[in-house]
Formats: sequence, structure tokens, C-alpha cells
Amino acid sequence: MSFGARFLRHPERFPERQRGDAWGDRELRLDLPGGPYQLLGLSASQEDGVLATFPAAGAVPGGAFAAGAMGATGDPPVPIQLLRCTPDEFLPVDVRGWDYGLDFDWSPAAVKMAGLGLFGRLDWRPGGVGMGGLAGALWIHEDGGERFPGVFENFLRVLVAYRLLELGGAVLHSAGVVRDGAAFLFLGRSGAGKTTAARLSLARGAEVLSDDLNALVIGAKGGAGGCVVLKLPFTGDLGERRALRPPLPLGGLLRLAQDSADALAPLSRAETLACLLACAPFVNVDPHRRERLEQVLLALAAAAAPRAYTLRFSLSGGFWSIIDRITLS
Amino acid sequence: MNPIDIGSVLGRRADVRFRVIDTEGVVVRQSAGEVLVLNDIGTRILALADGVTPVTHWIDTLLGEFEVARPVLERDVLAFAVELVEQGLLEPLPASRRLQDGHAAGGPGDWG
Repeated sequence: MSFGARFLRHPERFPERQRGDAWGDRELRLDLPGGPYQLLGLSASQEDGVLATFPAAGAVPGGAFAAGAMGATGDPPVPIQLLRCTPDEFLPVDVRGWDYGLDFDWSPAAVKMAGLGLFGRLDWRPGGVGMGGLAGALWIHEDGGERFPGVFENFLRVLVAYRLLELGGAVLHSAGVVRDGAAFLFLGRSGAGKTTAARLSLARGAEVLSDDLNALVIGAKGGAGGCVVLKLPFTGDLGERRALRPPLPLGGLLRLAQDSADALAPLSRAETLACLLACAPFVNVDPHRRERLEQVLLALAAAAAPRAYTLRFSLSGGFWSIIDRITLS
Repeated sequence: MNPIDIGSVLGRRADVRFRVIDTEGVVVRQSAGEVLVLNDIGTRILALADGVTPVTHWIDTLLGEFEVARPVLERDVLAFAVELVEQGLLEPLPASRRLQDGHAAGGPGDWG
């Protein structure tokens, strides 16, 4: 099936540039990893929806992601335009029993995407606005409302993944858990047990960053060879979207395997790289950015490998005693 | 009937990339978003699948590297080759199509 044909009535009319009618004149700055991100052209309802869902500028004095994290203070913001489209531009989709995924079309200077109630594009403009010239445009037909934050988030997840890749980091399918001031990432795709491991950790008094997506970057300082974990507002069932968190040193990378008993086995560098590649959504299927992705993940794997393990875990929640024994030794 | 024999020429599919880290191979099948880790022998075999030399030449090469009887090696290499074909990592190439564009021929060490 060709790009967009699952969602768009006329995929052949997909916009070739970031132009269209704005929803309104509101602007908002999002203080997320890789940012700041400057939202342009929002309506008042859309602004309310974003503010209710995501951490916005000013929520943390000095910014949540200052020194040592991705998107250092002073970077020009990555612009995101919100543009109008109409409901009849989308095909009706029966989503019962369906595993939702966006459609992508990649090229060296752009990524196009289409999904339920949205189409958008990322463009890299040499010398353009934003570091590296990355700019996003999102066409939606929702003027705020209940579904708007979710539709916007689907676009934002992709944008942040590409932005962090540009900066030498990675968004990872993972559950991030904080224990004793360090962040542990439970890695795995859907069904691997990320939320289960996060729930078991929560029951043991740990804090959950997100049970779906977290970011791993090389920080100015941090644990495990300098890797730091950045909280993202992209959660599944667990994690507080609007809560901001400074970068945390990486305590461990834990590739999940469900089992009847708990055990921890070190991952080799190759296994660590493979795990990171498999868990880097959106960018790991882009044929034009694979060199960059592999370069970034190799560096992350080398830095994180001393604290990378396969975690075989049971529902007893006893795995933390094993993790503590090894990672604190 | 098994379509792969020692005369077969196998090449890595165009969307397959691999590199060696320490002694292990990391294999990416990008179109499916799949990633595998192969041990040193698996990595060596994947490196030999250059789209040019038939399987029998791989066996000749490996006989110089491992202490194993030829029939045993032949059986194991063929079984592994079939598995790699079934997993979509390798594909059989007709002799007339050897090393055409789109079939990776890079050696281990770099993403090939």
C-alpha cells in the first residue's frame, strides 16, 4: 500500500511544503528533551489542550533540561506549525483489533507522516530556523477537544525522536524507573513486560518516569560512562506526563525477558547495540538516517554496556534485590 | 527438495546490514525493524555470503579456520544458510545475477 493510502482520501495531494492556514495566533514553547519546541498557529482551545497535557516553558525555572542534557539552553527553538485541514481529507478507518502505526515516507531532507486525524512533515532546511534546520508542520482537523492532545502527541513523539537523534541521543521504547537517584531503563517492545516491570517497581517504592518512551543521551556527566536518562511526557499507563525531571544518571539498561524466576545476565556490546536498535522507534526504519542512528547507538552502547543486562523477571517483584546487588557493587 | 545446496550463491538482502562488534555480529533487517545478534561462527558465515562465492567456497574457507570434518561442516553450514534465507537475511542469487547492485558485499567490521 502506498504512503498515506490507509488514512488519506487523496494521498497524492500530500503537501510538498510546510504551508497552510494556521488555526490561530497562539504560540507556546514546550520544554522537552531536544527542545525547546515552539508551537505556532494554535487556537485557544489547542493551547489549552497542550498546556493540560505537556510541560510548557516556565514551569521549571531555568528550564528542566539545562546543562548536560539535550537541547541546551540558548538553542533556537524547533518550530512546529499547526495547520488546518478538514475531516473529509481522511478516510474512515475501522480500528477494532488494530495495532495503530503511522505511515511514513522518508527522503534525505524530509519525513512525511500520516495517521488517524493527522498528517505532517519534518523538514531539514540547511541554515534554516532551529539547530540543524529541523522544522515540523502538523495538519489536523481538531480544534482542541478530547482527541486533540493524543493526535498532537503522535506527531510530537516522532519529532522528538528525530530531534534527539540529530543531537546524538535516542528515544527508546522502555519503562524508566528511578531508584536511589539513578534511572533504570527496562527495554522491550510491546508485550515485553515494560509496564509490568514498572508496576512491580512502583510497588517497591520506585518512581516511574514513563512506561513507554524515555530518552537516553550522553550527558556532560552521569553514571554508566556518562549516559543520562531524560524523562519524556510520552507515557502508557504509568508515569506523570506533566512532571518535569532533571536528567538522571543511568543506573542500568535492562532488556526484559519474562520468566518464572528472576535473574540478571550481562549483555555484550553487540547485544546492547542490537537491543537499542530494536527499541528506537520511528528512526530505526528510516533508510536515510540509518548511518546516523547506528553511529549514535554505537556510542550509547559503548557507554552503557558496563551496566547493560538481560533481566529475566517473574511477577514476584524480587528482581530489584538482584539488580541492587549487581549495580550497587 | 531443499533449494539451497553447496553450489548455491547467496547474498545478503538489500535491507540487511551487519557489523562485527568484538566477536559478535549485529544484523539489522531494516524493512522489518528486526535486529539479531549472531555468534562468531554465524557472523563469519554471514560475512562470507558476498553474493559471489558459492557455499562450497565458504566451506573451504571455514575448514581452514575450524577443526571440523568436512561432512559435519557442510551439514551445519547448509542448515544455517537455509535458516538465514528463511529469516529473510540471505537470498539465493542465480549465477547470472552475482554481485549486482542491491546485494551487499561488504565485509565484517563496517555496516555492510
